[in-house]
Amino acid sequence: MNTDLEYARPGTLEEALDFLWNHGKETNLLAGGTDVVIDVRSGKLRAKYLVDISRLSDLKGIEIKEEGLVIGAGVTLSEIHDSQIISRFAPSLRKSSFNFASRQIRNTATIGGNVGNASPSADTVPPLIVHETTAVLGNVNGERRVPIDYLFAGPYKSAVRPEEIIVRFILKPAEGKFNDFQKIGRRKSLAIARINMAVLAEKDGEGTFSFIRLALGSSTPTPRRMKDVEDFLMGKRPDRALLIEGGLKMAEKMIEVSGRRPSTVYKEKAVQGLFVRMLYPMVEHERRS
Amino acid sequence: METYRYIPVEFTLNGVKVELEVEAGETSLHAIRDQLSLKGTKEGCGIGECGACTIVVDGKSVNACLMPAAQLQGCEVVTIEGLEHGEDFHPLQQAFMDRHAVQCGFCTPGILMSSLALLKENPYPSHDEIVEEISGNLCRCTGYQQIVTSIEDAAKRLSREKEE
Repeated sequence: MNTDLEYARPGTLEEALDFLWNHGKETNLLAGGTDVVIDVRSGKLRAKYLVDISRLSDLKGIEIKEEGLVIGAGVTLSEIHDSQIISRFAPSLRKSSFNFASRQIRNTATIGGNVGNASPSADTVPPLIVHETTAVLGNVNGERRVPIDYLFAGPYKSAVRPEEIIVRFILKPAEGKFNDFQKIGRRKSLAIARINMAVLAEKDGEGTFSFIRLALGSSTPTPRRMKDVEDFLMGKRPDRALLIEGGLKMAEKMIEVSGRRPSTVYKEKAVQGLFVRMLYPMVEHERRS
Repeated sequence: METYRYIPVEFTLNGVKVELEVEAGETSLHAIRDQLSLKGTKEGCGIGECGACTIVVDGKSVNACLMPAAQLQGCEVVTIEGLEHGEDFHPLQQAFMDRHAVQCGFCTPGILMSSLALLKENPYPSHDEIVEEISGNLCRCTGYQQIVTSIEDAAKRLSREKEE
């Protein structure tokens, strides 16, 4: 353990940002602690300062506003799980909190921490991508707004700058659209996702895709939106054959991005299967009408 | 803004006010076991996977191994030593004994703490809710059947008491 580590508990966001302006490069932010404390324990944490932002009220709150569904970066996974607003406007995000680690971890882990840690497997990220989320990053001079897709520089490499704090996320609400998140892990709880995926989609009066957003995580170095697959599906009627082809395109794109690895034999099939399973309700709905 | 290598913390532990000085990287688990000598909270994996170190902070179950001790400032903390019910065992403890939910006992304090937080929030949990809520606690001896049955039993005992 790094015994020279120093701790600070800013009373306000301004105080925290002020400190980061001068010491950002030697500072690691502490929110829920569920990733940071593991790095302290293993000696991986290089920072000199641990700045505890877990109690800053500016990072709290879940609200629907004119600009969208606004979620504070300090909102815990348990709060996401219990939120009526999120269940109505971003059901896939709520679903990503269901099997997120364990109850104990959900009680302290925050959505800002999940994003800031930049794990390729972060479960909240594919839902945030399909909701075309804007991350609002605070710094001493004001705010910087960044599309969520641009916050991931590489595996565990965040594009959040040392002097910045993720303050909140602004999501485009899903109300009325088909919205889902699914993941495959080695077991149900506490499993790091091997593949996770989210969708936000809508069909027009003729039963063809008039809107679709797809995101894939874990199986690529950073979670990403699958624009090519969206383009392929747009304007087409979801039936079994189309979904199988769409799933194949998802897998092809994954291989294009990640390269062929020993696990590809499995993941290629699994990505396709998960895709078909996730979108299948859109086909059944079609049959009934 | 001041930074500290040693942070003064004040919190309520099992109903009693305590004051400590903790290191910046020190976990709540370390503070509770080694500074306060309460050894009921166990260290299993140390990385938040086994739940043996579960404690209840402000009514919520957390892994003490993942929570910096500095974050306990001002909180109400309950550990296994604080599980009491007047002169008697807590209905959770009694149910675990009656229904043989304990074998080696290492996971038991953590599971009791998860169950305590669960029953406070949701006094009438379904079987599936119990399974879900304790899925962050590993037991390698008994299997989970007796544990889940005991929690169901304790929930019934507690609700019966409330009616009386």
